[in-house]
Amino acid sequence: MQAYESTKSLWWLIHKDLTREFRVQHVWPGMVLLGLVLVFLLATQLELSLEEKTRVAGGLIWLAIFFAGTIACERSFAGERDAGCWQVLALYPVAPSVLFLAKVAVNFVALAALEFVLVPVFIVLSDVPLASRPGPLMLIAVLSNFGFVSVGSLVSALTAGVRRRGSLLALLLLPLVVPVVFGSAEATRLLLTGPIDSQWWLWTELLAVFAIVFVVVGAFVFEFVVEE
Amino acid sequence: MKTLSPDRTPTANVAAGAVVACLVLIATWMIFFFAPTEATMGEVQRIVYFHVSVAWCGLAGCVAMGCCGAMFLVHRRLKWDFWSQAAGEVGWLCATLTLMTGSAWAHEAWGTWWTWEPRLTSSLVLWIIYAGIFLVRSSVEDPLRRARIGGVLAVVGMVDVPLVLMATRWFRGVHPVSPEMDPRMRWVLLASVISFTALFTYLTWQRRRQLELSERAAQLETTVWSANVASPN
Repeated sequence: MQAYESTKSLWWLIHKDLTREFRVQHVWPGMVLLGLVLVFLLATQLELSLEEKTRVAGGLIWLAIFFAGTIACERSFAGERDAGCWQVLALYPVAPSVLFLAKVAVNFVALAALEFVLVPVFIVLSDVPLASRPGPLMLIAVLSNFGFVSVGSLVSALTAGVRRRGSLLALLLLPLVVPVVFGSAEATRLLLTGPIDSQWWLWTELLAVFAIVFVVVGAFVFEFVVEE
Repeated sequence: MKTLSPDRTPTANVAAGAVVACLVLIATWMIFFFAPTEATMGEVQRIVYFHVSVAWCGLAGCVAMGCCGAMFLVHRRLKWDFWSQAAGEVGWLCATLTLMTGSAWAHEAWGTWWTWEPRLTSSLVLWIIYAGIFLVRSSVEDPLRRARIGGVLAVVGMVDVPLVLMATRWFRGVHPVSPEMDPRMRWVLLASVISFTALFTYLTWQRRRQLELSERAAQLETTVWSANVASPN
């Protein structure tokens, strides 16, 4: 029964954030625009042969996605504080882990939306066949997104009430997600340059381990974040 | 939160300091006069004894910071935050020395000060994570809130570091892993690691003590100020 109530609350928290975003669009347009600017800039620098471009494309596209994605993570809690909703949210009668999982889910959707825009634009601008194997690429994307947004949501909640929060979030988040950046870039490179082998699975497993560890750790320590 | 206990450690302090100084001096003597000169790199290879020791202390600092941060979150006693901060700061110093000694060694061994080699990259990432946590801590004024945020970040950092090491190690690298060594070299390396670990522990203890004393001074200042406000004459 408690699990059912928690799932219902989780759904309504996700629904609240997504509805607000669809109504006022105060995070996603900025995030997508920053992503597009980064992709344009990176694509203009790719004056390489197709083989070389294919080798480096994975790292570049994931960097653009993660860098633009920090905006979604940053605003997920800073927005609540700026609108004066933080205390109300903290008083909401659900376990803190449910709040955390709701923010993770919303940021996951934001990052997925960003990828649906940036990947086709990158393919058009660079000629790299990124989507030649859509299934494995989707798997990399799902695992990377979970890893990135779990750490991003946690760090965002921690830095939401401190001075210089924007620069601090990027400064902390990007080093912490280095395994996700390396994993997604390497898995994408291996996917584009050869068959799916044990090496590809190794990187995909690393992404899965990172995602599971940080969703669990985040859900566990989030009660210490929301207690003020 | 419990009131901080009075400071009763000056004698133990001096004695521990003397023991640690002796250990470090012995290890330094062994590095320069007992360890044989390596055939390929010559005298420069002696950097390795310092490098491995401070690298180990840098990682130990990260683990200690995370464990003490978790202890604060569980027990809510400020002394655990002082331990966490102290271990983190000394660990960060060790991480800085790891990068510097590693860079000096790389210049002689590989002909370049820096290369994006996995272990160098992971050391740099560790250094940045440490720096980020300190920056966040410095942005929060309330000690309990700072301790709480620092505790959560320290736990996250501690969990993250093995994954960073794993990710970077899977890249093809040129960093030596357990190279063949003369038995005397192994003894010197062991002595060096033990003495630097003792130095790390001592510095952490001192820094923790300093943080605790500053907090007690701040508490006393507040008490005196409140008393003056209550009875101005």
